Amino acid sequence: MTYSSFLQSEFLILWRRKQDVLNALLFFILVVALFPIGVDPSPAFLAPAAGGIIWCAAVLSILMAIEGAFKEDYLDGSLEQLVTSGLSLPLLMLLKVLALWGCVVVPLLLIMPLLSEMLFLPSTVFWVLILTLLLGSPSLFFIGLIGSALTVSLRQGSMLMMLLILPFYFPVIIFATSAVHAAQAGLSYSGSLAMLLAMSLLSLVVSPVMTAIAVKASVN
Amino acid sequence: MQSSASLTISDLWIERGERDLCRGLSFDVRPGEVLRILGGNGTGKSSLLKAIVDVITPIEGTIYYLGKNVTQCRDVLIESTLYIGHAVGVKRLLSVEENLRWYCPDVSSDELNSALEHLGLWPFRDTLVTSLSAGQTKRVALARLWLSEKTLWLLDEPFSSLDAKGCTILENRIQQHVSLGGLVVLTTHQDLRLVSARDVVLLS
Repeated sequence: MTYSSFLQSEFLILWRRKQDVLNALLFFILVVALFPIGVDPSPAFLAPAAGGIIWCAAVLSILMAIEGAFKEDYLDGSLEQLVTSGLSLPLLMLLKVLALWGCVVVPLLLIMPLLSEMLFLPSTVFWVLILTLLLGSPSLFFIGLIGSALTVSLRQGSMLMMLLILPFYFPVIIFATSAVHAAQAGLSYSGSLAMLLAMSLLSLVVSPVMTAIAVKASVN
Repeated sequence: MQSSASLTISDLWIERGERDLCRGLSFDVRPGEVLRILGGNGTGKSSLLKAIVDVITPIEGTIYYLGKNVTQCRDVLIESTLYIGHAVGVKRLLSVEENLRWYCPDVSSDELNSALEHLGLWPFRDTLVTSLSAGQTKRVALARLWLSEKTLWLLDEPFSSLDAKGCTILENRIQQHVSLGGLVVLTTHQDLRLVSARDVVLLS
């Protein structure tokens, strides 16, 4: 096994399992669509709430996409093969996150113009929202994969994984929505964006190592 | 292939879920030798193989490879080891050929094709593994034995779900490997007909 053959097969499998990614995307759209229907369809409510609505829906659908990231690998024994491949496990985990991130976040971003139009988000704020997603979502994946690897060997692991992971998502959600709010109020939002980037970079450093440790503990 | 390669396990002690396995187990494998690990269900045959490749951390025991103590740093051992566990590590959503390319990306198409032909998988090379039978899936995993050039083979129940013809093919391959100085450690409940093996019996 080499790093490139691993990455290639990860993309191939994600492509063959595109229904899962599509489900997460559909879930995202449904949650966002429920707010105008269920709460208030007027721009006076939707425009200020749009950032929060989109971020909460995005977090839930990303959790959905991450939850089963290791399940198949664990059951068919390929996790064991990764551990015994002689390649660096943290690096393999990093590649896995990057592949998953690309396959989930790119469709999410593509659907974003439609949804922000639906929620009356001003176009200047739209780009700030996209920036928060680009800078903040990597940390969601990095943190989420640790939880996914930790709970993969448990039979009822998915609920536990969400309980473990969600608290670590709060700071990301808070800084992301505050950046959108600040942009809407015409204030400076670069501080919040910097915090998002900092969190993603920090989790980039910590997560692959932690995920590798969790994978080793799970196959043990 | 290094002919001086040899593996020594001394005083191994594994614990699985509060149960002691293989306590005080010692054995060695010399080049050109097949070691068959025998023992009833739950005596720790699979755990022993996993402990050698560092998937399981043993409580006690020392592992020597090529005369060097590799208990703490297993890199040298893992580099020359091909491990096929009970869950064989074949991905259902990849085709037969993609699975082998994932595992052995450097082999040429000729080598790949001849391995597939050997195992009767040639007609299925573009079929997703999810639609193959258990025996065929096993053959996909075993195709690695033809494609990689590792010295030490650790095979957990390699004969399970194989038909008689498959068993013969596999035994021949094992014989060929050890005749070139390779080492094979396998667990099985089956009698080997073509390969002469030394037995290690695990007691419960």
